Amino acid sequence: MTEKISRRDFLKISGIGVTAATVITGCGPSSRYVTRQAYANMPEYNQTGVSTYYATTCKECPAGCGLIVRTQEGRAIKVEGNPGHPVNKGKVCSRGLTSVQGVYNPDRITGPQKRARSSRTTTAMEWQSAINTVAEGLKNPQKTAFLLGLQSDHLYDLVQEISEKGGFTKPVRYGTLGTLEGRSTLLKATQELYSYDQIPFFDIGNADIVFSFGANFLETWLSPLAYSRGFRQLRKQPFGKRGYIVSFEARQSLSSANADEWIPITPGSEGQVALAIGKIAATKAGVPTPAMFAEVNLNDVSQISGISMEKLLQLGELFGSENKAIALPGGSALTTKNGLDAGKAIMALNVLVENTSQPGGIFPTFGENHTSDFAAVNALIAKMNTGELDTLFIHGTNPVFELPASAGFQAALKKVKTVISFSTFEDETVVESDYVFPDHAALESFGYQRVLLGSDREAYSSIQPVVAPIHDTKATADVLLAAILSISGKLASGIQYTDEVDFLQKTITPLIEKKGFYSAEELPTFWSKWLQFGGWWKTTPELSSSEVDINLDQELSFSTPQSAKEGETFHLVSYATQMGDGSGANRPWLQETPDPMTTVTWNSWVEIHPKTAEQLGIHDDDIVEVKSSNSDFSVEAIVYLYPAIRPDTVAIPFGQGHTALGRFAEGRGCNPAIVWSTDVNQAGDLALSDTTVTLKPTGKRRPLARQESKEGVYGEH
Amino acid sequence: MTELLAKEAQDEKWGMVIDLDICSGCQACVTACSMENNIPFVGEDEMAYGRGMQWMRIRRYWEGEYPEVTPDHQPMLCQQCGSAPCEPVCPVFATLHSEVEKINLQVYNRCIGTRYCANNCPYHARTFNWFDYEIPAPMNSYLNPDVTVRRRGVMEKCTFCVQRIVKGRQQASAEGREIEDGDVTPACAQACPTDAITFGNLSDPESRVSKMVRSDRAYKELENLGTEPRVTYLKGGKSYGG
Repeated sequence: MTEKISRRDFLKISGIGVTAATVITGCGPSSRYVTRQAYANMPEYNQTGVSTYYATTCKECPAGCGLIVRTQEGRAIKVEGNPGHPVNKGKVCSRGLTSVQGVYNPDRITGPQKRARSSRTTTAMEWQSAINTVAEGLKNPQKTAFLLGLQSDHLYDLVQEISEKGGFTKPVRYGTLGTLEGRSTLLKATQELYSYDQIPFFDIGNADIVFSFGANFLETWLSPLAYSRGFRQLRKQPFGKRGYIVSFEARQSLSSANADEWIPITPGSEGQVALAIGKIAATKAGVPTPAMFAEVNLNDVSQISGISMEKLLQLGELFGSENKAIALPGGSALTTKNGLDAGKAIMALNVLVENTSQPGGIFPTFGENHTSDFAAVNALIAKMNTGELDTLFIHGTNPVFELPASAGFQAALKKVKTVISFSTFEDETVVESDYVFPDHAALESFGYQRVLLGSDREAYSSIQPVVAPIHDTKATADVLLAAILSISGKLASGIQYTDEVDFLQKTITPLIEKKGFYSAEELPTFWSKWLQFGGWWKTTPELSSSEVDINLDQELSFSTPQSAKEGETFHLVSYATQMGDGSGANRPWLQETPDPMTTVTWNSWVEIHPKTAEQLGIHDDDIVEVKSSNSDFSVEAIVYLYPAIRPDTVAIPFGQGHTALGRFAEGRGCNPAIVWSTDVNQAGDLALSDTTVTLKPTGKRRPLARQESKEGVYGEH
Repeated sequence: MTELLAKEAQDEKWGMVIDLDICSGCQACVTACSMENNIPFVGEDEMAYGRGMQWMRIRRYWEGEYPEVTPDHQPMLCQQCGSAPCEPVCPVFATLHSEVEKINLQVYNRCIGTRYCANNCPYHARTFNWFDYEIPAPMNSYLNPDVTVRRRGVMEKCTFCVQRIVKGRQQASAEGREIEDGDVTPACAQACPTDAITFGNLSDPESRVSKMVRSDRAYKELENLGTEPRVTYLKGGKSYGG
């Protein structure tokens, strides 16, 4: 060795070694922390050449499916479903399968950064100064706000507690998947009609007849794997019985494609159709017609919705027959100006056939569901615009990409003095932030998911790291807790957790007393089982069967849906795909997995009925300008001639059109959120299904990479 | 041990049944297969040239006219033919029938890339590595150590997750028992959200696949070509039983 190493240098170097060796992972089932060690000195359960499997929870969407991740030599290899988990019972969707591409994505943020806004210039920081920056923001509760995503309930619960004890305003929780399915509207409709505060569980598996009003339950709705299992169960009932599905929506989704009947109704007329079905069904069933349904004029409904009178009568009688029927209020019905009343009308169908707490009916789920509606986001934007906000913390959501352009979030962000993002990737919001203090990737972090909309029993799903963090990232809960510890005062004395794991353990302690499928004498044993099984849940399904007396006497009011001007304006349907809330666009295998209906990969498109396209002189693969009728915003999209859509409707999938988020996501397709109308419905949800657009050919063309032509679309080659 | 392995191997004839009545066409099997088998992603341009590497694809055909239009989804993969058209045309014996599992194997280090096999496959089940596809670091960390990473110029296709068959056999052998129905699940069947894919041993008359193959809804794709496919489809569609 020619270089001289002083004793001081030697200590520095070994110091680095010690830090690297003690990165907290907590992989072990029986220990709280496991230190990262050299391969030569692996813990006995982690042998070279032998896979180790860890249970955790999928964080790709809020459904909270249980995962078993295969790891080998400290690397996450393959995501599999957790067979014991009550939500997905061993199954897993495309999004969950590609979460390893999130951990090992080459475009991850590798450490805390100070950033110049609207540019990609960054300066690396130390975590200590990052924590000091966060502490500065936390010192001033009046001038600080939190904006969180739908994933990982533990962080929301912690921030909620911090807000209460520190005097901050309630954190805003927003995600496009919740917006597209009208989650707040569904919750409010249920609250107003039933007596409980939860989004119900729809037991389609035990029903005979399912009427879906725009619920894409096989793709992203509420808990897609739980409902896919329900779909199987519905089709494969004892004695060869096969359940029947009728789907009402303007654009045929994958769920409608698997239905027995697809009824392409006018967007916005779902509520009135539900009322008409209720009226006919009540007569058929021989029960007194409730006041809610009595006033509806069947002829009017037939005209507004575009369903023939004969069909309407047939469907109403089917719903009122002696079979077990259930009605699902989906996104396209709820995200309109009539949304709340439509939701109530559809839920009232369930009341009419008395399926509440019956097999094949609807049940309350467990755990309070905190989702902010769009009105809360608007209030936050207004507050940002006044310049009162000094610090905004953003975690788990990408508002610059996800919110409609005319909501003005990006402009409002400029008036906030310090914007701090905790994103793992350089997304559109990070580009507009001052700091990014990256959280661990999903498979590297601790946590839990509490609201499990696909579970038939009370359940908590645990999240644990399956691999040691590969970059210099830090759990956001740990950053917040360290910052609180560094400032004295009311907040520090109220929040007594030493770190994230301490918070988790204290939060789950009450579960020891409740009877779950395992028990433990004390917390350390409970904690090791909690990690080993991937959560805690009750042994048997436990759906409340309380008698409910629901009044269907209230009157609902519906404005006539705005009709499209023939050949000029079109209804715009936006729907979620395997990209979820858009964060999936940087997973190359999600990009390369074809869309189930169009088989298009690596891009997005606008679906137009072939007849409409012919009238407008538009061809497959033409690029058209899709312009909002109510604002100046427009996007350019490639045309896909889609035979299963109303001629007065066009549709754009959500999730592509990124200007940031890394090499796999950037510059592909368009983002329909840009043209969404910012009107809200009575429940405060975005009335995005009311958006109408005009189409204009641009003269440009670009072939979409479709799999439907095995020979390829680039012609001779 | 060797005798036990040999005895079990005699009884193996792996097969798959796909119930089209509950297959929703969601593509989870396609992603699962790709993640399990180290299949490279090729990017938009190559996909548009028809050079996607998916071992499994969901065929989607539109049927009917608006408003009675509906897509027909059918998962298509290597049918592991008993009398496979791809085998006799290979000049270097890179594609051949395995004695043990009775499936078609592709021996990557024999393959010289003539592509005769793909041309002769009536199911379009084979994909060819036209290039070396980059998996940028550290993304290579998730590669499955049980599956070979293929290079340019090599043909590949569905293997019925042969690595899982081998593991299942070893596991049963280590426990001193015969391999049982349900011991082996390929990645596609494991992920399938509606459990539409069933996998098992066709030589065991009591296995789930053997029972399903006897269903009156069962058919084999392009059966009249005499390829003896080991994948059976159960007819679905909205008319069945409704």
